[in-house]
Amino acid sequence: MARLLRMPGISADAEEVVFLEWCSALGSTVKAGAPIATVETEKANVDIEADDEAILWRTLISPGEAVTVGAPIAILVGVDEEFADENAILDSLGIASEQRSKHKDDVVDSQEPAANVTDSDSPCLATPEANGHPVDRIFASPLARKLARENGLAIDAMIGSGPGGRIVRVDVEKAVANNPTVSKLVATSAGNERTIDKAFREIPHSGMRRAIARTLTASKQQVPHFYLDATCRVDELLALRQTVNSDGSVKLSINDFILKAVGKALIDVPEMNVVWTEDCVRQFDSADVCVAIGSESELVTPVLRGVEALTLTQISEQVRDLVARANEGRLKQQEIEGGAFSVSNLGMFGVESFSAILNPPQAGILAVGVVSQVPVVSDGELTVGHVLKVTLSVDHRPVDGISAATWLRRFQTLVENPALILV
Amino acid sequence: MPKTIDLSMDAPWVEVQVTDDDWDAAEPAMLETMLTQLHIIRAFEETALDLAGEKLVNGPLHSSIGQEGGAVASVLALTPNDQINGSHRGHHQFLAKAMGYVAPGGQDPRAEFSEEIREVLQRSLAEICGLAQGYCGGRGGSMHLQWKEAGALGTNAIVGGAVPFATGFAWSQKRAGSDAVSVSYFGDGAMNIGSVLESLNLSAAWSLPVCFFVENNQYGVSTTVEEATGEPRLSGRGPGFKIASWRVDGMDPLAVYWATKQAVDHMRAGNGPALVEADVYRYFHQNGPFPGSAFGYRDKAEEAAWRERDPIKRTEAHILRRGIMSMEDLAHLRARSKAVMSEVAGRLLEDDPTAPGKRRFIPSLWPDPSSIDVGIRSDLTEFEDVKFKEAQDFIGQTTEKKFVTAIADVMMRRMEEDETIVIMGEDIHKLNGGPRGATKGLKDAFPDRVLGTPISEAAFTGLAGGIALDGRFKPVVELMYADFIWVAADQIFNQIGKARHMFGGKHDMSLVMRVKIGTRTGYGSQHSMDPAGVMNTSPGWRIAAPSTPLDYIGMMNSALLCNDPVVVLEHDADLYKTSGEVPESDTDFFIPIGRASIRRQGSAVTVLTYLSMVQQALDAVEGSGIDAEVIDLRWLDAASIDWDTIGESIRKTNNVMIVEQGSRSTSYGGWLADEIQRRYFDWLDSPIQRVSGSESSPSISFVLEAAALADTDAVARSLIDNYGASRGVS
Repeated sequence: MARLLRMPGISADAEEVVFLEWCSALGSTVKAGAPIATVETEKANVDIEADDEAILWRTLISPGEAVTVGAPIAILVGVDEEFADENAILDSLGIASEQRSKHKDDVVDSQEPAANVTDSDSPCLATPEANGHPVDRIFASPLARKLARENGLAIDAMIGSGPGGRIVRVDVEKAVANNPTVSKLVATSAGNERTIDKAFREIPHSGMRRAIARTLTASKQQVPHFYLDATCRVDELLALRQTVNSDGSVKLSINDFILKAVGKALIDVPEMNVVWTEDCVRQFDSADVCVAIGSESELVTPVLRGVEALTLTQISEQVRDLVARANEGRLKQQEIEGGAFSVSNLGMFGVESFSAILNPPQAGILAVGVVSQVPVVSDGELTVGHVLKVTLSVDHRPVDGISAATWLRRFQTLVENPALILV
Repeated sequence: MPKTIDLSMDAPWVEVQVTDDDWDAAEPAMLETMLTQLHIIRAFEETALDLAGEKLVNGPLHSSIGQEGGAVASVLALTPNDQINGSHRGHHQFLAKAMGYVAPGGQDPRAEFSEEIREVLQRSLAEICGLAQGYCGGRGGSMHLQWKEAGALGTNAIVGGAVPFATGFAWSQKRAGSDAVSVSYFGDGAMNIGSVLESLNLSAAWSLPVCFFVENNQYGVSTTVEEATGEPRLSGRGPGFKIASWRVDGMDPLAVYWATKQAVDHMRAGNGPALVEADVYRYFHQNGPFPGSAFGYRDKAEEAAWRERDPIKRTEAHILRRGIMSMEDLAHLRARSKAVMSEVAGRLLEDDPTAPGKRRFIPSLWPDPSSIDVGIRSDLTEFEDVKFKEAQDFIGQTTEKKFVTAIADVMMRRMEEDETIVIMGEDIHKLNGGPRGATKGLKDAFPDRVLGTPISEAAFTGLAGGIALDGRFKPVVELMYADFIWVAADQIFNQIGKARHMFGGKHDMSLVMRVKIGTRTGYGSQHSMDPAGVMNTSPGWRIAAPSTPLDYIGMMNSALLCNDPVVVLEHDADLYKTSGEVPESDTDFFIPIGRASIRRQGSAVTVLTYLSMVQQALDAVEGSGIDAEVIDLRWLDAASIDWDTIGESIRKTNNVMIVEQGSRSTSYGGWLADEIQRRYFDWLDSPIQRVSGSESSPSISFVLEAAALADTDAVARSLIDNYGASRGVS
């Protein structure tokens, strides 16, 4: 039975997904569990897998298209299925006629005749205007496309005044003039553009870059942040780490201890283990902690689930695995969703302290700096101590200052008395 | 009954034979040199075949084994000042000439081979193998061996293709007042090639000291001479052109020496060209290490019979008989010849670490692949000290002159200033300045440098190519109609256009070819081509297309100074009769190669055009009301086109229209449009438009000819159709 393959909902907050490519050739048989297509969400590239063995009979979208979740993207047919009349199948599946024509060429074994070769008897005199009808794509001159791109305008919103409705330079100039946010300096003048050409390179946005920009802009603009600083003595933690690592079988990082302490503090102070929603504050029983990982080109925050139940060794292994796969772009969608709290550690770059932007909808993010030696007054004596500065960013909607301070004190206590982390 | 009278040729046709008495009379030193060279060349060819058998030589290897006697003995009759060229089977002639150059006093068969000889062998073998140390940097290979300094001006892979150039070498020798001669070696197959027969004719007409030396090895690949011609005695071709001709047994080196000596004496005495036919035999097939009998077109008995007459055996027999050398000496010479080749080859080879038991060339000896396009043309350093001028530099100091008069005037001036310039073409010396007056007054002023040619485009274009390769004189060729580039195509494209790069990129090819476009004269399909597009397929050529008399003067001066072949396009019907301002008192200025001229500033579209379509485009722009920018390209070839000016204009107007008069089929604009779409894609706001003639060649009928060509109306219509709507013009 022919059936539609629809764009699955991949992450909770994405209503649109960019379709990247088909993994299976049109007409090929896809085994159950084998990838059919790759799509790009805000956070990852995800493979869509076949539920049952089927033939990819027809595709309804093209690589690069943004597709609404739930929209049909392909038609699958059973392996031994006898094809009914093509239109009957399409009718039965409710495919609109415009979508049929759009991807007419993508039908397997189409009975359509090949496009007629024009019977011009002067092949080299064919007029260049005969470009077909603007059904499949929007016609725009190379210059118009370039200008639209530079001004951040979409050409599909413009009306072309050129031959056959082609969008040409003047059409983009009109659109620029009607859009006050676009700088007119870069619009048309040859002289200006050339100067600018020399001044910088343009690196096109990746989907992930756009997602980071969108998410963090919204967070900083819409979430009321407040910040709490603490300086933790870590001499004991360092000593414990040295003892554990000296065994040679494991190699724990300071960050592993911090993650464990964060997880424990979230269980101990559940007021901090929350997210804000429009209707309620959602509080979690388990400590799911996200780790900010700067991969080679992008920023991802995969989640460690149930940190309170993980041993330090397990935390260490899981983090290492996540980092490795983040660098290869192989994180799974479910690994980068959820969590009520994040840890961002820039200590390895020598950063003393910093304030992080919340990762919505989470209520807290802990910014961790470098361990440094400082003069410490202890019992009236001046000694040298190792300290770690942390800054807690908090969403003030679900969490008040007292709850946050309580959590931070608990965290500090755990870090400064690391034996407590282990029990 | 009508009376029939026997006629005879004026030129002698003789066969030279020698006897033991002649061998006895020969100088021992000459025989020793002869034998030494024969052995070296035989060993060289055997080594080259070995390398070919090891699959180390890329491409065919045409060995001369069996034919060495003809080359060695004929070169012994030459001096280092004499010049030769040759065919695809040319190792033996090249080596003989090169050895004659480095060892002019002869070679002692008992002495160690000198360093100079070893270098000749190594660089020749390296060239055949395509290695950087070869005479042409490895570019020429087995079929394009050139060492100008030694008078070996290049072997050639086009059958008969080298022969016209040799007439140019001879012309240069004669013009320079030298008694040196040129010899063009070719095979029996080439004797039936048109350009060879044209060259026989032209050299006789102009009494040039060139020897047409045909090594008749009995087969063109597998086709016998008897199959290929009704007169297999190929020396019989000469007397028909009134060329003194010799036939000789090419397997008898002393006979070849004497026949060539007589021919050379004849030429040095100023008696014009000579033809020598040496009957020889190649022991192997056309190329490679197998005998011809293996391919079934001849039998082993025939090969054995010819081998009995081997030139080395024969020479050795006489030397032994006369007691000049002993058996041991002979064996020793053969062994040392093999050894020196083994040594020379060993300097190029190493064991292949990836294939046990096999050899390979030492990797560092290959030419640098990134040098592939180096030396296609001059770097234009010849213009370093030149002060360029343009029309605006002469404002207020000009006078009006007809275009065709400007052509004759600038040539007159240059020929007064530069004695090396020689011009040639059909009827240019008569009719009061040639068919259209473009050479007016020149014949009277320079009677021996204005050469009216026979109607033989291949011969006289090739002769000019030979003059350019020789380098002492600067030839200017006039082709009466552009369509005749097809008639002379091998000389223009394969020879002149490729010579500099193919022979290693080191020598200039300074030549000017004036070509007249015949559109709008009613001359029809075979006289109405605009050759710009076709000429631009040959990267060795530069293309000048002047649209005003002033530009013609400045551009012709640059074309004559340029070290490359430059084709100057002229337009009879549209331009010769027009007049324009030229400097009153300056015909010596230069217009830079590679600079276009903006004839009208505009903002709507960039119109790219040349020659007479410049004015028609300007008229069309005024008539259409479209604010177009009109650029006169002036220099059209891929290396000389002015991308700076074109690019700046396209970035301003964002639209391009290419305007040409002639047929679209052979047109230039396709190439130009392709370059533009890749270079300026993001600057284009509309497709590149083209205005050109019809697909067909222009016809003779008045209305059909007009319909076949682009004109002012066509340009105006296209301007309005494509750029009118957005500007309220229709």
